[in-house]
Amino acid sequence: MKRKVQLRDLAWARSGDKGEISDLGIMPFNETNYEILKREVTPEKVKAFFKENVKGAVEVYWMDNLPAIKVVMHNALGGGATKTLRWDETGKAMATAILRMEVEVD
Amino acid sequence: MKKISLGSGSGYWGEPLDLTKELAERADLDYIGLELLAELSMSILQGWKTKDPSKGYVPDLLEQLRLILPYTSKKGTKIITNGGGTNPKQAAEEVAKLIKELHLPPMKIGIIEGEDFYHQIDNMLSKGIELVNLDTGERDIRVIRDKIVAAHAYVGSELIIEALKQGADMVISGRVSDNALYVGPIMYEFGLSFENPDWEKIGAAITIGHIIECGEAVTGGLSNFWKSNKEPWNMGMPIAEVSETLEEAIITKTPKSGGQMTVNTVKEHLVYETHDPRNYLMPDGVADLTTLKLEQVGEDRVRVTNMKGGKKRPDTLKCQVGYEESWMATSEVILAWPEAITKAKFYEQIVRERFKKYRIEPLEIRFDWIGINGAHGAVAPMPEDEDSVNEILVRCAAKFKDKAEANQARRFCMMGSLVLAPIGLTHGMPSPSRRVIGLWPTLIPREEIKLSLTMRDVK
Repeated sequence: MKRKVQLRDLAWARSGDKGEISDLGIMPFNETNYEILKREVTPEKVKAFFKENVKGAVEVYWMDNLPAIKVVMHNALGGGATKTLRWDETGKAMATAILRMEVEVD
Repeated sequence: MKKISLGSGSGYWGEPLDLTKELAERADLDYIGLELLAELSMSILQGWKTKDPSKGYVPDLLEQLRLILPYTSKKGTKIITNGGGTNPKQAAEEVAKLIKELHLPPMKIGIIEGEDFYHQIDNMLSKGIELVNLDTGERDIRVIRDKIVAAHAYVGSELIIEALKQGADMVISGRVSDNALYVGPIMYEFGLSFENPDWEKIGAAITIGHIIECGEAVTGGLSNFWKSNKEPWNMGMPIAEVSETLEEAIITKTPKSGGQMTVNTVKEHLVYETHDPRNYLMPDGVADLTTLKLEQVGEDRVRVTNMKGGKKRPDTLKCQVGYEESWMATSEVILAWPEAITKAKFYEQIVRERFKKYRIEPLEIRFDWIGINGAHGAVAPMPEDEDSVNEILVRCAAKFKDKAEANQARRFCMMGSLVLAPIGLTHGMPSPSRRVIGLWPTLIPREEIKLSLTMRDVK
């Protein structure tokens, strides 16, 4: 039976910035979780999850070697650290935010 | 097989000085990198230099050097830094004074300049070089032309290598990429060059540089694994022990320090600010971060193998053009239970009405409820029952066309004064309004930037 869990039950995350790009890494606790992340963490789902926080395109890359999922989000920081009105100027909390995302597991 | 060790003595402007000192004191290193520049830094430093031509370098550099030079000069550790900012020559002048003051043995300083292209912008535009904004896609930089305050390219390690060849004990540069502070010495020591480049090995050097360049961000800082940090109040700085073939590197940290160096903390750093991990672009080359293997080989020792590159360095250099965008003002008011959320909404309405009364139209405005959604914004769930909310700090941040309007807004419209706020409290003085520097990231052809190296003997 499918059920929903939050990413915090499957993975760790770290985020940083370059200009107006928010750069997010999601690191699964194990290989099983990595397979779930590969299936569930798609550009569309990430973009929908972040709502107005992320205005531009979202790219997702797989790093089988670590394993980890890289998420690169454009137009995602309210103008970039120097211009943004957001409290989290460099998007360091984007990592903890994505841990709220719900995904389906068996 | 030849091996060298490189330590990161500073990962940012503001690095706690004790961490820098303990690295130099406790580790026997061939090189220490002092990284001191963030994206906004060059615009800030250019502003200082415009006001006073004897400024424009990062002041922390001198504080760091005062603490580490007594160790590095004894141990023969060479120092590579980008803390010269917009004025590497003046930084070298100050360092020379410091060397004499500390009665240290003679040193050779290599000074790298030339990545500042502020005065070449019009010439580049007339040659048909488009300075397209990489963030927004805007093609015409002329829309901000009159407001530009600084323009710098992120340059690679070519002249770091040259300075080391000429016997430099220290290299002081401006906007050399953080990464090149480590790629430079690795390439010099192992005989790698851009004349006859081995892009695979250069990719490995870039990977190693990336892992250590942000200081304690890889030794357990900014980490999911904060609970297993040993003595995070005594964080260690990262060290890379690199073998000549570049087939492996050991990543470790300041001896007898706190923090941690584990496969997981290295992983955290490999997914950090690297964009497409198959093509981590640096001015010196391209690293592929999707092949490497990590292995814990001892306490606080991680072995990295199978590092790859393979592609030639980009023909363009990434640049940041800083420009005066607007003025920002912020205010904070704290609203307490009961009905804290209703009060926060009411307060926002009051501020917006005040703007109308003063006929001020902010260019952009937002209200955050710190304690509810300050960190996660739209993603944070709202409390179901506002009675469970003890308090909210409402932060209002807004941008205005000029300083006068920002100050007027701050004084008359945004202040969380007793008169304007619902029942709540205010604290301290609101921060003064500040200028907002926008950044216009762009690419220019590599050959447009002509760097120069000056060697200075300090006796």
